[in-house]
Amino acid sequence: FAGGGVGGGNDFQWCFSQVKGAIDEDVAEADIISTVEFNYSGELLATGDKGGRVVIFQREQESKNRPLSRGEYNVYSTFQSHEPEFDYLKSLEIEEKINKIRWLPQQNAAHFLLSTNDKTIKLWKISERDKRAEGYNLKDEDGRLRDPFRITTLRVPVLMPMDLMVEASPRRIFANAHTYHINSISVNSDHETYLSADDLRINLWHLEITDRSFNIVDIKPANMEELTEVITAAECHPHQCNVFVYSSSKGTIRLCDMRAAALCDRHSKFFEEPEDPSSRSFFSEIISSISDVKFSHSGRYMMTRDYLSVKVWDLNMENRPVETYQVHEYLRSKLCSLYENDCIFDKFECCWNGSDSAIMTGSYNNFFRMFDRNTRRDITLEASRENSKPRAMLKPRKVCTGGKRKKDEISVDSLDFNKKILHTAWHPKENVIAVAATNNLYIFQDKIN
Amino acid sequence: MEYKVEAHRIMSISLGKIYNSRVQRGGIKLHKNLLVSLVLRSARQVYLSDYYAGVCLNAQHIEAKEWELMDADREKLIPASERHVGAEDGRASRLQEKDGDSLDPSDVAVTSPVSPAISETQCGSSDCETDADAAVTEGDSRQPPKDHACSHRKRSAEETGVSETPVKRTKVTPNAIVANNEIEEGEEMDTSNVSNLITIFGSGFSGLLSKDSAKSESETDDSDSGSGQICCEQMLKNLNPWTTAIVAF
Repeated sequence: FAGGGVGGGNDFQWCFSQVKGAIDEDVAEADIISTVEFNYSGELLATGDKGGRVVIFQREQESKNRPLSRGEYNVYSTFQSHEPEFDYLKSLEIEEKINKIRWLPQQNAAHFLLSTNDKTIKLWKISERDKRAEGYNLKDEDGRLRDPFRITTLRVPVLMPMDLMVEASPRRIFANAHTYHINSISVNSDHETYLSADDLRINLWHLEITDRSFNIVDIKPANMEELTEVITAAECHPHQCNVFVYSSSKGTIRLCDMRAAALCDRHSKFFEEPEDPSSRSFFSEIISSISDVKFSHSGRYMMTRDYLSVKVWDLNMENRPVETYQVHEYLRSKLCSLYENDCIFDKFECCWNGSDSAIMTGSYNNFFRMFDRNTRRDITLEASRENSKPRAMLKPRKVCTGGKRKKDEISVDSLDFNKKILHTAWHPKENVIAVAATNNLYIFQDKIN
Repeated sequence: MEYKVEAHRIMSISLGKIYNSRVQRGGIKLHKNLLVSLVLRSARQVYLSDYYAGVCLNAQHIEAKEWELMDADREKLIPASERHVGAEDGRASRLQEKDGDSLDPSDVAVTSPVSPAISETQCGSSDCETDADAAVTEGDSRQPPKDHACSHRKRSAEETGVSETPVKRTKVTPNAIVANNEIEEGEEMDTSNVSNLITIFGSGFSGLLSKDSAKSESETDDSDSGSGQICCEQMLKNLNPWTTAIVAF
């Protein structure tokens, strides 16, 4: 099953489409991509990086003139979302790294997105300008005010066409609501509110109001010495605006209903899989920590990512997941080394395809994995410059876990743990995926037969 | 014992990570420090289990015993000196000699059905690269302490899921003290004031980052294991202050 077979039930084959970013081997820390997100239509693709910048790509309209371009993504807008800050009171530097970007559903010609770093969330408006007013009465073309005594006539400005300009402007700044580091933001299905979560608290905001937010979850113990778990991710239900979930460092997920109480400290549902005692190890707690939680588009399932696996949960069944997929089980025997080099703390994300029939997540050595939920087939692919000829089909990769290494297989010890794919995104409607490999963004598409 | 060396190494690494988290950009990360502290606690329990070989009971009982024994030994362990390294070893070997023979077979039997299965996965092989075979072999006279330690590790790892009295919790709190200093209007992030962490360890470890040991404080560029190593060595000379520090931490 060369090149594909996973991604929607049909025989899709993943092909290289584009790669964005510097080719240089020396990676600047600020260029490392820290979040990737398609908008609701898939027309726009946003990335955030450690330097606090946001780059938005727009898909070209497919046209008869350039049939081969076939919906390529090109840079649409680039702006500096967050700057490094220094909290003088606490002598703390606040990183400008963009932790998450979430798009708002489009309501008019402009596009809106939320971007957040560790402490501050910002609402950005991205709008196009293709006309300019010319012929002002009171100021000249440079914008300087004319001498009032020299104005003897009245003229009204007229709109003239100009080269398309895409502007990004911060419309709201939601600050000073989080004592700990923000790990998630999620837009509610009511399109009016959104939640933001840090290690110990979750706040609910109204998009129009920046000076106030409601605290809806608070797991900070009275005595910090009794702290046993932190919040690792949170998400609003895609359809029920009163429901949200949050995951913990202990591998549990809590579903809360905001109608039940103002403070949702008591969950409505509690999802936890009993631990397999035979697999207990020194690092069991660390690898059970959930790094990402995502609802399916249908709203009936949710998916969690822990260090070694991805689990799909049915919201109606709390005692165990309905599906478990091993991402890189061969790392289980290497946990001690991975603890030493800090890789065990890597936070991998996961994502659904548009029809919820397939899921994708990243691994090391620039590998990423896809699982077809219907056929139970899985595939490992690699994002690398070597496989970056236009429309080149991706070859499945395999990690050799023991015994004789076959040709084209790679042994566990040869894996490059510096090349990690933490962030991936799947187009909401089509089989187009975006994979962030350190400072490069790869876009793959299925080959239409 | 290999597992003891491994536990020591993991403790060093963990302490180094906590130490280095002070100088990381963006402030101390609560999540990572919580996880590191869990590993640190497990490693400590495995490491200390060596001293109390023979006390092969359930986890909470064992912890209670640890506290008792440590209290009893408080007098012997007060100032840090070379002499105590020897004293500790001597005491440890005395304990083992005393208890090795009297190691209750029924105690071992209670855990043995479980420990061979566990020891392969945790004592050994995988994480700590010790000889899996040695861990699983039965009938060897030197095995009971090792199996026992493995069981310890399992139970100690289990402990984290069990509710305990607050005083035994070794949870993350890079600043347990700051929790008391919370300002009402603008709540201070409890992980912000790192100097408090040093104070805690300083008083607890009396050598980790204390006034006497200016060398440790100046080593801001050490690798994880480097600074952790120094912390660990000095810690080992002061068992009693170590428990105080863990409580505070």
